[in-house]
Amino acid sequence: MGEYRNDRLDAVLGAVADSTRRAILARLSLADARVTEVAADFPISLNSVSKHVRMLERAGLVRRTVQGRDHVLSLDAAPLADAAKWIAYYRRFWDERLKALEQLMKQKHQRPKKRKQP
Amino acid sequence: MNDVQNAPKVVVRREIRATAEELFDAWLDPASLAVFMRPGGTERTTVKVDPRVGGAFEIHMHMESGTVPHKGRYLEIDRARRLVFTWNSPYAGDNDSRVTVEFRSARGKTEVVITHEGLPADQQVSHNGGWSDILVLLEANYAEMRASAATT
Repeated sequence: MGEYRNDRLDAVLGAVADSTRRAILARLSLADARVTEVAADFPISLNSVSKHVRMLERAGLVRRTVQGRDHVLSLDAAPLADAAKWIAYYRRFWDERLKALEQLMKQKHQRPKKRKQP
Repeated sequence: MNDVQNAPKVVVRREIRATAEELFDAWLDPASLAVFMRPGGTERTTVKVDPRVGGAFEIHMHMESGTVPHKGRYLEIDRARRLVFTWNSPYAGDNDSRVTVEFRSARGKTEVVITHEGLPADQQVSHNGGWSDILVLLEANYAEMRASAATT
């Protein structure tokens, strides 16, 4: 598994903890969009949408390109894949620890019974 | 707006033929930890524990490529029921990740449930449905991006 910059992983986890921000990501996974287009999809103010977008930019999940007067947003899914790797890594890690714990219990239970004759 | 925290977390469980006391004690016993905290590729694991609430632990996994340190602090110790500790390793975010181990006995077996949360302990997590949905959606995009990056 790769080495993650911990602060970035935290920013990613925080960014996707909100349903509006996840919806914005889902929107951008279909196509790039202007900030105003994204805002039109949500029943909240342009100002709130802009705040959510800034959090996503800080997490490295959304990139903004200025084209003339338009600010076009696009998705960068790479940091999310890092978070997905974190989940995959720990799911396997803890699963294996529990298997090892079960083995340890088996050994502990067997040992005392096998010592009748020295 | 839905303000439920849909933070990512990992939950794994296993039914083990042992009592909750035996299993719980293994989590605070350095000799036992040295055995079951030894992932593949680890030559040996060395463990230091201070098994009280607020006490620290260190689990060093020694591998050929170097030593991977894991550190944390016990947040809750409720024997045979529940153990909560912080988890800090090069592979988890600073002090922010938290591990809860729960023990439920039934018919001579005990189910051990491990919940590992990547967010600070004060941000309570309710469920993770939304998170997995977005990952499914985005994983496909990422695979494409990687494929196109690999060819350039």
